[in-house]
Formats: sequence, structure tokens, C-alpha cells
Amino acid sequence: MNKKTAITWKTLAISIALLVGFFLPSAVWAAAPDVVKKDTLELGKKIYFKRCVWCHGVKGGGDGPSANRLFTRPRNFLQGTFKIRTTDSGELPFEADLIKTVKNGLPGSAMPAWGEVLKDEEITAVVNFVKTLVEDRSFDDVEDEVLNPMEFGTVPWSTDAGGVTGLNLYLNVPQEAIDQGKEVFIKNKCFECHGGEGRGDGNPTMKDDWGFPILAADWQQCWNFRGSRRDAYDPFNVVRTISTGLNGTPMPNFREQITVEDRWKLAAFVNSLCPRKRMDPLANKPVSDFLISSMFTEGDIARSIDDPMWDAPDDDPKLISRGEGYPGTLNKKHYIALGGQITRGNRNFDPKADNLWVSSRWSPSEGAVYYLVEYHLRFLSTDPEYPDAIAIQWPGKLQDLYGAEKPYFIFGDSKKPVDLWKASFLAKDYQQTSPPNEAGYKLDVKVNEFIGNGFDAIKEKETPANVEVVDSIFKQGRVKILFRRSLETENKETDVQIFQETFIPVSFFQWSGADKEKDEHNALSTWVYTILEPPVPDSIYYMPPIMAVIFIGLEGWLVWMTNRTRKMYKEGKAK
Amino acid sequence: MNKTLVATIILAVVVGVFHYVLFPIFTPKGFSWVLNQYVYFLILVLSIVAYNLILKLKPAMAWRGGVVWLTGLYFYKFILYPPVPWTLLITYMMLWSIGTFLYISQDEDTFREFRAPLVKVVTGEYKFARIIVFTLMPLLVGFATYQSLIPKFAEPVELRTVHPAPPATTKVHGKTYGLEDLQNPYRVDEQDNYKDSFPFLDADKQEYMKFVTEGGTVFFQNCHYCHGDQLNGLGMFSHVFNPTPANFVDPGTIAMLRESFLFWRVSKGGPGLPNESTPWSSAMPPWEEHLTTEQIWKVILFEYWYTGWHPRTFDDESSVGE
Repeated sequence: MNKKTAITWKTLAISIALLVGFFLPSAVWAAAPDVVKKDTLELGKKIYFKRCVWCHGVKGGGDGPSANRLFTRPRNFLQGTFKIRTTDSGELPFEADLIKTVKNGLPGSAMPAWGEVLKDEEITAVVNFVKTLVEDRSFDDVEDEVLNPMEFGTVPWSTDAGGVTGLNLYLNVPQEAIDQGKEVFIKNKCFECHGGEGRGDGNPTMKDDWGFPILAADWQQCWNFRGSRRDAYDPFNVVRTISTGLNGTPMPNFREQITVEDRWKLAAFVNSLCPRKRMDPLANKPVSDFLISSMFTEGDIARSIDDPMWDAPDDDPKLISRGEGYPGTLNKKHYIALGGQITRGNRNFDPKADNLWVSSRWSPSEGAVYYLVEYHLRFLSTDPEYPDAIAIQWPGKLQDLYGAEKPYFIFGDSKKPVDLWKASFLAKDYQQTSPPNEAGYKLDVKVNEFIGNGFDAIKEKETPANVEVVDSIFKQGRVKILFRRSLETENKETDVQIFQETFIPVSFFQWSGADKEKDEHNALSTWVYTILEPPVPDSIYYMPPIMAVIFIGLEGWLVWMTNRTRKMYKEGKAK
Repeated sequence: MNKTLVATIILAVVVGVFHYVLFPIFTPKGFSWVLNQYVYFLILVLSIVAYNLILKLKPAMAWRGGVVWLTGLYFYKFILYPPVPWTLLITYMMLWSIGTFLYISQDEDTFREFRAPLVKVVTGEYKFARIIVFTLMPLLVGFATYQSLIPKFAEPVELRTVHPAPPATTKVHGKTYGLEDLQNPYRVDEQDNYKDSFPFLDADKQEYMKFVTEGGTVFFQNCHYCHGDQLNGLGMFSHVFNPTPANFVDPGTIAMLRESFLFWRVSKGGPGLPNESTPWSSAMPPWEEHLTTEQIWKVILFEYWYTGWHPRTFDDESSVGE
């Protein structure tokens, strides 16, 4: 039997399988891989060597010039291992899967979306060229390579897109499905890698097929899911990953253990963890806040993070109402994006935290301001040499700054100093490999205050302003640190003075001790502003009615005047 | 039936059909002489005038005044291209309101006719309308007062100069360069000759592509985090920083700059900017701290090759002058 007839037979078999598939919906039909389209290769090669080679390498080994400075490393094509597929574990992907990956990019990694840059035919061409880079197996091997498309079913619930144009929030999933999904999560021990609350903080020792370290996905930041296809809240992304696994990683498929119905429930649970935020359509990340409003508080502010005073949902309050009976009274959590410090000195190309959530309150009677800084970090340091740390940066001499002027955002400059409040900490009785701990870990926090005159000119204050960390915790992959300082201090030369209703520049630094981050090797934000919001004035209760009554009086006058004029016309006194 | 009511219903239907059916047809992606929004607007206005004349509707003056005012609003909001910011819209609408008033008060009769329904509301001849208006207005005033008293804050707007004037000279790695006549030493040939050459593939055969490959290597080890794998300013960290990183694909950046300007900006980075360009928040490193002079020139060469732009040049005649 020659090769050609073999292919014909195979085609026939597939057709029959397809036909059977129609009558037996539960049967999984097998297909051959999409063979390489030879006529596209010339174009594909040109695109690859202009656009892709820099990361994926000349031979496709994922070893381009940029590779060593990227975490998640670029894909190594040689083994034909592709993560985001609709086929069974270990199998090659369909061409359509690869096209979707190229079009939408892989959020949370350096792979951008090419859908707006390349034409459809160019994407098809470059995907076909990439298929020829696979050395260990072949997309043309229609005899040995079998592709079993996984069964996903369809969304069992009708969801509500929410009120943001261009973004589907997939709301109104029944709570029952979410609760049942949580049981599936526990039963299948997803927490062993993804952590007790899904922040990917379960297992610090995982490696991919090539021996490079790899982290479990953080479900509470679904916009960073590689397979999110720029539709972060779509539960299908989760169903697909549970059904197909991620080739080359420790993520298996669960098609034997979890029924299709239950996969959707698990997806509902996973999806419910991801806070609903407005997304920046260009960055595919939540829109950053540039103003941290500090909430006016009467009397003393709670010094415990567990107090309802410090409780607010992660969702954007404008998109999701917090529901009746919700105990938290905080106005909102502000989302501040972090990036690696890749500008000066020892640069950090692979920061471990992606963002911070900052909320604040101030009290004139207490004369103090509080900043609660939260962030996701999968693993803390256990090495006293390299503690984890977080810092808030302020202009040191706010009074000397003119207009929009600020100190240099990386620890100030020689002329304009910065005031740094740094909290360094190690968790008590903590091991990276410990199982999920619902109570969380207490932190051993040390606060230092520094004056920065440049990243290489930071010195500790001789007269610190008594910045305190009044409460802190590391729980299920999330750090929370509550800073407190008095609004004004004695040393006005080096400490920032915080006044009501003034826009004050502020920025943040984060060091991951487990990643040996220290000094200028950190993650940082740009300058944002904070403002102490004044209390709502009492006049708000009496001024609106007064104005309304005055206006009613005006209306009466208008009627009187009009009637009088009419009368004058009638009597001929006016024309 | 009241003719004004008929006119209102017809207007709603006509504008609805025009806006949702005809408008998309008239605004395809490319601008053409017939299919554009201004022609569409003319046809819309003429149709409204035409059916009013044909049907002899003669709606009330106040109604006509209202339609004229709304036509202006529709023009500034949907037709005028490029769209104007709301502050400008308000300015235009104030002028348009004056125009509408002129139209209403062209003579005493029209003005009286326009005024009549308003007076009838005030005096109570339109009883129902008076009740509604006289209750709603005080409520609205109360609400506006409430809105103005509640404390609200938005972050201050900051303006910056994107491409500041370069200095005359710059000192990089101990050597002083005059920016006026500084050339890229690796631009050894005409860029367009290498449109169909490729990094790595042709690096051994062509000296130019060797430099491009080396420049690209530097770019993808250092610059793509902000300026992006596609050189469009959308790298992994781009959304973190403010100002956002430059988009080299955009015709307003490297396409309108000289290579010597880029050499200065790359070498000195954010801290080398003058105050009007907010040096304190630019995440652009002074690359002389991380790269050699050669690497800086090669990465500039790469940026032009990848985006297809040509650096701005002044030919000898025009720069020498008369």
C-alpha cells in the first residue's frame, strides 16, 4: 500500500468518525494534524525572521537573544509542545489553535497580540512556518499523529456582559454552580499547585519539560492567563485548560476525573475569584488608578486589617455593587500597576509582583494617615539576608516643588530628595512548601525611613518620623501591610508633610526576597497622586432644599410678572 | 391630530433611519467625495426641510427653533471630523445657540410665536406642562447644589513636551558629539536596499544586515519591555509608566526625528530631558550606563529598518541656505 492510498484510507476513516460523531454526541472523534501548507512557507519565513526570531530563535528553540531575560521563557518549538490547544494532552495543536495564539498573544508574557499587526494570511503563513520548525515530530505525519479534539460542551448558564463596552464581564453565573465548583476544586486537589485561594501559591518547585522553573496560574488575576484570548473573564478559557492540560508544564488534563458538566462548574468557581475591573484594551490589564483618595474618617482608625473599616471587595465598585449587608466601609481599593525596575543600576527584568492594591484613610482627630498596601506574591523569602519588602516613596521637600515638578521616580535625584517608608519583613513559621494555611502567617516587620538622592545615594534618616506598620499578614499568596504616620512631623526638612486637599505625589516599590531582589533591583510604580479627601460638608444637608425653595420663589415671581405683562397688553398699556 | 406631534413623529423616524442605516453607509473607512459624513449631513438637512414643505406641516416656531438647535448639536457631536473635545463642543454650541436665537428673533412675529407656548406654560394655560416644569426645576436645582457640594477629585492633568529641543552637543562615554552634523556610522548603505533582507538569515552576507541583527539583539534584550516586540510602545511594562513609552511605528516619533536626536535621547534617557518634558517620571534609562556607543547606533539603525521609516535629513542645499 503506497502512502497516497494510506492517506485516502485515513481520510475515509476520519469522515466515518465524523459521521458517527454526529449521531453519538458523546463520542470523541479523532483527526489528523493540519499538514503544512507548503505554498505559504516563503512568506512565513520572512515574517518569522523579521518578527519572531528575536525571542523564539533562529531554529525555533526558544533561545533568541531576548530569551534569557524573560520569565516565562519564549516557546521552544522543537519538540512540538504547545500549551494552548483544543486537543488532548501530549498531542499537537490544530492550526486554528496556533492562529488564535498568534492573533491574541499570550497575556502575562512578552508574546504580544499580532492580530492587529499582521494580516490573516500572514498569520497563517507564519504559523505554517513555525510548524516546520518542530523537529521531534511532524505535522505532516498524518499516520502517527492523531488529534483528539476535546469536548467542551457549551456555557450552561446565560451570563450578563455587564456595562463596559468592549469587555464582557460574564456576570450572573448562578451561585450554586460556583459553590459546586469549589467542591470540585477541593476534591481534585487543585490547591496543591494553585493555592488555597487560587493565587498560584501552592508549589514553589515546579519545572517545565525543559527544566525551567514554572509557576501555577494566579486565578485572581485572570487577565494574565496565557490562554485568555483577550477575553479574560470567559469561563471557556478555564474549561479548555482543565480539559486539555498545558503541554510541557505540570498542568495535566482532568478529562477522566471531572465531567464536562463539572468542568464548567469549576470554571465558574475559578472565574468568580477574578475581580471585575475595567481593562485597558491595549495592555490587556486592568486600568491603573492615578489617584489614591484617602477617605476621611471620624475618630480613630482601626489598627487591625480585619476590621470592616479596612474591608472592600477587589471588584471595581462602579461595575459590581457590593451587595446589601456587606460589612466593609472602605470606598475602594486603588489598582497600581508595577513593572520591573529596568532603568538604572542592577535591573530587574522579571518582577514577581504585577500590581498593588492600595487603600487609605485619614483622621484629623487622630492626626494620622493610614495606607493599606496589598499585593499578590506566590512565595515569600525565608532568607534573612533577602527579606521581602515594600516601600512608599514621597517627595522629601514637597514645599520646594513647583507645579508638576517631582523628584526622579527611582529614589530621587541630587537636587530633589525623596522620603522613603520601607517595611521589610519575614513570615513567622513559614515554609514555601507548607500546605495552604487559612489563618495566614504573621509577619516580622521592620520599618526603616530613608532619604533618597538617587538610586545609589540612599541613606537612613537620623531623625525618623515614626512611620509604623500597625498590622500585617501573609495569607494564601497575598501580602497586606498597613502603614501609619502622623500627618505632620517635627522635621519638616526631610519628612513629607501631608495636608488636607493637597495632591501629593506618591509611588511604590516592591522587593521579592525569594527572587533575591535588593536595593534598586525591584518592582516599582510610576508617580501617582494621593489626596486627603475633606469630610462631606454639613451644608450638603441644608443647602439643596434652600436653593430649591429660592427657585420656587423665583418661579412664583415669573408667573406674577408674566400675568402682569399680559394684563398690561390687554389693557393697552404696553405694545 | 396636532401637526407639531405629526412633525415630531416623522422627524424621529427620519433621523433614526438616517443615523442607523444611512450613516454607516456614508462613512466607510476611506474618505471619498460622495460617501462622506458631510454629504450625509447635507442630505439629512435637505430631507427634513423637503418633507416639511411637501407635507405643509408648518410646525410651531418653538419646535422649529428646537430642531435647528438640535441639528447643530448633531453636527458637532457626530458629523464634524475629527471629533472635538467636549470643552470645544460647548463653545461651538454656545455660538450655535446665539445663531438659533437670531433665527427665532428674525422679526417680531416669529419671536412672539416662539414665545407663545413658553408664556402659556408659565401662565398655566398648559396646566399639565406647568405642573411638570415647575416641580422638576426646583428638584434639578437642589440636585445641582448637592453635586457641587460633594467633594470630588480627579488627578491633576499634566502636560509635557514629547520631543524637546535637543542640545547642540552631547557627551557620551567621554566623547563630545555635535548633534548638528552627527551621522549614524552604521548606516553604510541605503536602507531601502535591505527591505527584503532578513536579520540572522542575511547577517553573514550583508554588512548592513549584520548591524541590523546586532541592533535588534540589543533591542530585544533591553528595549522591548517598554517599546514592545512590535515597536509600537506596548511592551510588557508599558502600561506601568507615565509618560507611556514612544511608539516607533507612529509617524510622529522616529519618522520625524533625526538620528542624532535619537542618539542623544537614547544615551541620556529620562534624566537628560529638560524640565518641560518631566524628566522625573520618564522610565527611559540613560543608555550610556548600560550600552556602548556602537550598540546605541546599531539599535537606532534597527528601529528604522524594522519600522520602514527613514530618519529625517536635511539635504545640503537647504541646510546651507542662500
